[in-house]
Amino acid sequence: MDEGYLLRQLRYFASGKRRNEVMETIIKDIREADFSSLANYYSAQKPLPGKVNNAQLAAVGKRLYEDGNTETGVPACAGCHQPDGDGNARFPRLAGQHQVYTLQQLGNYHSGRRATDRLMVAVAQRLSADEMKALAEYVAGL
Amino acid sequence: MGMVKKCWAILALQLACSGAYALDAPVWVGINDPAWNEMYPVRVQAMQAKGDAVRGEAKFVICQGCHRSAAVGRVDGSYPRLAGQHVSVLIKQMTDVQTERRSNPKMQPFIHLHEVLPQNVADIAVYLHGLPVTANHGRGPGDDLQHGQLLYMKDCATCHGKQGEGSDEQFYPRVSGQHFNYLLRESLIIRDGKRRNAHPDMVTVIKRYTDKDIAAVADFMSRLPVNP
Repeated sequence: MDEGYLLRQLRYFASGKRRNEVMETIIKDIREADFSSLANYYSAQKPLPGKVNNAQLAAVGKRLYEDGNTETGVPACAGCHQPDGDGNARFPRLAGQHQVYTLQQLGNYHSGRRATDRLMVAVAQRLSADEMKALAEYVAGL
Repeated sequence: MGMVKKCWAILALQLACSGAYALDAPVWVGINDPAWNEMYPVRVQAMQAKGDAVRGEAKFVICQGCHRSAAVGRVDGSYPRLAGQHVSVLIKQMTDVQTERRSNPKMQPFIHLHEVLPQNVADIAVYLHGLPVTANHGRGPGDDLQHGQLLYMKDCATCHGKQGEGSDEQFYPRVSGQHFNYLLRESLIIRDGKRRNAHPDMVTVIKRYTDKDIAAVADFMSRLPVNP
């Protein structure tokens, strides 16, 4: 995961802009001066591959990831997150992410609970529950 | 363009006094300068900013999920091709959507001022204008081209050009190389008053058109030479 992205999320957790019961407690005990070391450490780790459990669902997700949904105005995820899901400082890496986590975050963006990126809120609000599941399945295998 | 320049001067003065972006308030609409070409603050700022294609390419990342890499759009016309369009047209359309002068709910969140500043608009416009226009765009069925040509040459060519080249100076879009279904859809919503930011003369002309007339003209436009 990109160092700049990680650092920004740590700051969001600390300021309360991003909500998570577990992180809210933990982040209180971490000095802000250590945020950049943490971001640096995690960004240097070698990413582990994820696992696709449902190839048929992943194929649906692939189409959506690469082409979007022109009917509902969902852009292709690949536009920002890159075709290989590697991401960058603005848009996080999705490749290999756990299905449950991707699904949870998409849900949080959809409901507005996570609003750290307005673009992503707009995108998630256009996604159906089935589309979210398909996408989560696909990116796990990237 | 004289009116336009004068309008800029007035706006520059108003901007200097207010020093703020106003998203909704129309700042100045001249008596002889219809609202379609209104020079509101974010548009003037984008027009005055010096665009940079390299920065524009980087910012365009947030657009390419729909408009695709190199802004080729979609052959099915669901998203227009932006490559090779005039800078003035791109700026007008981006800021018109941004300020909701042009109705486009799909695009609105992606061009919102929180995301795209006037400098970004200028950069993206310069980048897009410099992209190559290829002949692999969506074309119409080709079954009513003579009728389409007749109407185009009579009513459309004066502004959009005989070759569909448009005019950067006049803010008239280039229509050659554009996807058929997009030309069709936009013409219909301009006629029906749903797009809102078209030149009033165009609205007057196209009001008389039947769906069949519009389809014929859109088809003809989609077959204009791509690189005249």
